[in-house]
Amino acid sequence: MDIFNEISEFLQKGKAKDVRALVQQALDNNIPPQEILTEGLIVGMGIIGGKFKRNEVYVPEVLIAARAMNAGLEILRPALAKDNIKPIGKAVICTVKGDMHDIGKNLVKMMLEGQGIECIDLGVDVSADKIVEAIIEHEPDLVCLSALLTTTMMAQKEIIDAIKAAGLRDKVKIMVGGAPVTQAFAEQIGADAYTPDAASAAESACMFLKE
Amino acid sequence: MFLNVNEYKPDLAKTIKTMTKTYQDAVNHKGGNVTFRALPNSDIDFYSSFDLTQYNYETDIEKYAENLCQKLSNSFYVRKDIDDNMIPAISPVLGIGDYSAFVTGDIDFRPDTSWSTPSLKNITDFKDLPPIGTSKWYKKFLLISEAMLKISNGSGIPFMRGFFSPMDLAGALRGEEIYYDLYDNPDELHELLDYCADATIQFAEDIYSLARKYLKDTEYGMWLLEGNINMSEDISCMISGDLYREFCAPHTQKVIDHFGVGHMHCHSRAMYLVKEICSLKNVANLWLATDPNQPRPIEHIEQLVEDANGVCLAIDCDNFNEIENNIDALRKGNFSICMPLNSIEEAYEAVEKFNNL
Repeated sequence: MDIFNEISEFLQKGKAKDVRALVQQALDNNIPPQEILTEGLIVGMGIIGGKFKRNEVYVPEVLIAARAMNAGLEILRPALAKDNIKPIGKAVICTVKGDMHDIGKNLVKMMLEGQGIECIDLGVDVSADKIVEAIIEHEPDLVCLSALLTTTMMAQKEIIDAIKAAGLRDKVKIMVGGAPVTQAFAEQIGADAYTPDAASAAESACMFLKE
Repeated sequence: MFLNVNEYKPDLAKTIKTMTKTYQDAVNHKGGNVTFRALPNSDIDFYSSFDLTQYNYETDIEKYAENLCQKLSNSFYVRKDIDDNMIPAISPVLGIGDYSAFVTGDIDFRPDTSWSTPSLKNITDFKDLPPIGTSKWYKKFLLISEAMLKISNGSGIPFMRGFFSPMDLAGALRGEEIYYDLYDNPDELHELLDYCADATIQFAEDIYSLARKYLKDTEYGMWLLEGNINMSEDISCMISGDLYREFCAPHTQKVIDHFGVGHMHCHSRAMYLVKEICSLKNVANLWLATDPNQPRPIEHIEQLVEDANGVCLAIDCDNFNEIENNIDALRKGNFSICMPLNSIEEAYEAVEKFNNL
């Protein structure tokens, strides 16, 4: 098994300590950090995302895999910076106003980071104003809005309206998700994408960034 | 304010008898009971007009109880001639924050729900909590319950309270860390879950004891409580069947065993859990809520009959055709089918159609 496979395998098992050690070993062997990232960490996270989508693994397994990914990234980050390797894109992500649920949002964030996308996490119960401010401050490519409740999903529309009113709509792609959200609702409120799960969100995000 | 409970159903004794038989058969893994629950808007509309932020829970308990009981009374009255399986019951409505704040912490009220903040930074921190029964919301919940029981006193209306399962309670106390605990701290997690099981038993016993004080001489007042426990398994919908068996099942079973029979709740996003929950001993009922964008239980009846092994599944449907098309399969198990309806008139029609199936 090559070292990339090993990194991917240990990441999928959530073995943070092993991932950290293997990433260090790969760096010591002069493997380019970009390759360690894309061939090891991102591949592993992609496999976990696919399994999550197919209900072969569940929330705890995704969380510990993401933690292992972050452990590897901690070792890798200085080397990536030295080589001037930047994230493939930037996303502002949050759970909308009135909604305190964060697990869905956190899973999407982890999957996006797992694909090399930088995430600005605004947390839960976030107002439209705060998102508009974050777009101005961070200039993201993507805005990801989560809502778990039927009573809060309309806040996604309010946010999109506020982004339009601020003249920022053409600067960002807006992705929406959460248990009650549907493709039809996403179209109705003017979002660019709806995805049913975290792994699909990462796939959509990557597609947008390639456009 | 409330009428006698018998006034709220065309034949309450018949409804109770039907549901008693359903649950007895369920526990004995014998199928053949399919009942219908009409859900006119009036059954749920009052929740949206009951603003939880309007009350100061230090000084307004009587006002809160009065307003909630009035809304419940109105909703029971308008559906009093509907001969479905719904049994009127009263219960405090405080969102979800109260489901864990009885252990520790405070509740953050919003108009239509409430939240509690995870309070156990480290998994073993529960060992340092004050004894169960001493928290602010433990006492307050009993005061609120008593205020409602006083208002309904004499009507014989059943009192009802559901609880988090030990895993749901541990999840509320730990927040997202609970998912890491499954892998990082398995032994400590079992200890926390055992603590949560004991806390739930104590809290439920105190609520039941209070309800008994007002309802012991009524025919059906304790029907939903005595010998029963209602619990949700929501966190379990995020984990595998293997982890459910290892971490959730033993502690949920402990609570069920204490009371006798379990009435459970989980979600259709985790239909694989039906088999796990229905494999617990003495589960009579599982309310399998349909999630948006997820498999719909009504479309998987054959599989559910097999997985439930006789446990009564409370599921919903969108229209009457779905019941008609599945009635033979439904009759192989035990089901309570809930159908949302726009009006009381539609509810009468639906019940009549169901009774003629």
